[in-house]
Amino acid sequence: MDRLDEMLLEVKDTSELMIDLAYSSLLYNNHDIAEEVFSMEEAVDEMVGQIQNEAINRVIEDKNAPKALAIIRLSTALEEISDAAMQIADVVLRDVQPHPVIQLSLRDSEVIITAAQVQDDSSLANRTLGDVKLATQSGMWVIAVKRDRRYIYGPDEHTVIAAGDVLFARGPKDGEAYFKDLASGAVKV
Amino acid sequence: MPYKAGEHAHDRVDRMSKSVRELLTEMKDTSEVIVDLAYAALLFDSEEIATEVRKLEEEMDTLKYEIRIKAMLATRNKRDAVQLSGLLQIASAAEAISNAAGDMVKLLDLEVDKRPFLSFVLKDAEEKIRMLTLSEKSDMQNRSIQDLSVESETGMRIIAIKRGKRWIYGPEDTTSLKAGDILIVRGTEDGCETLKRYACGDKKWPAYPQEGS
Repeated sequence: MDRLDEMLLEVKDTSELMIDLAYSSLLYNNHDIAEEVFSMEEAVDEMVGQIQNEAINRVIEDKNAPKALAIIRLSTALEEISDAAMQIADVVLRDVQPHPVIQLSLRDSEVIITAAQVQDDSSLANRTLGDVKLATQSGMWVIAVKRDRRYIYGPDEHTVIAAGDVLFARGPKDGEAYFKDLASGAVKV
Repeated sequence: MPYKAGEHAHDRVDRMSKSVRELLTEMKDTSEVIVDLAYAALLFDSEEIATEVRKLEEEMDTLKYEIRIKAMLATRNKRDAVQLSGLLQIASAAEAISNAAGDMVKLLDLEVDKRPFLSFVLKDAEEKIRMLTLSEKSDMQNRSIQDLSVESETGMRIIAIKRGKRWIYGPEDTTSLKAGDILIVRGTEDGCETLKRYACGDKKWPAYPQEGS
């Protein structure tokens, strides 16, 4: 994979994370997460600019115009998705509390957002997310970790979880109980 | 009242009876399914899946229209108006996402040999999209997605099923799986390997003792 492909992939993964984070910020009326969505949107804009520049530079060399067009179109679509995430997060940053129906709708959705605090005797404490295989075991993806006042956004398999961390996750409704039990220590792995 | 050609009267009545809450949930769910389907269409070079993406994109327009009316009818004072305009902003975002998905599948119009890199890029994404077939040896057959709890068991979400010539997009929990079904799934690499073993019949679907038994 070359640099252009890597950037495209990064933008794709980021745009998906942004949507999940935007919904979490709404569900928990969380300004920190909403603001992070805004800064991610800036990063995506910049990357998309670079991708499109690079695509144009390459077409001058290899004359493969359809390929450049495909890259430009795909990156534009991804940028639209990240803009939409920002639009969602923007609702949190207003002076008025989001309409209560929004939170009810989010809870009714097929893909839900939930959060849980990792207790001292949880199997998650002092282990990496890759080791616990939470996504494979329950369908729940951790999208953010709150540690004291700091956040880790889009943690990966190497992220080590500590007792006291608050995990924000996205997944199927019937994966929520397992996720919460794992965090509380009621279920061990 | 305006309606789109080809829309059945009972669909309209059904939709108008939905609450703002139900409409917003439907829009959010659709915006998620449509993006998965758009990636799947690109990955598997499927014009059929692309057609479904376009159909969902149109449905989204109708949903947005309905939710606007519902929100306006629910407004009693300024505070309501401010809060509901925030809600409508989320509905707009869901529609914008579905438009982006529609733009993505337009890439299929480009010549195939000019876009092989797309599937290459999508294959390495954090969440994988894969295709697998349900063998007649698999004990997953004739059971519903809900009964199996496919996603919480394997981490893989079924985003579409091809049954013979027919497609089922964004299947319901109550949809039963049949031998020969081609499943398009989304999730982790590990989860996909696990699901494959169940789907080809190498491994039995896990059974848990009933509560209290």
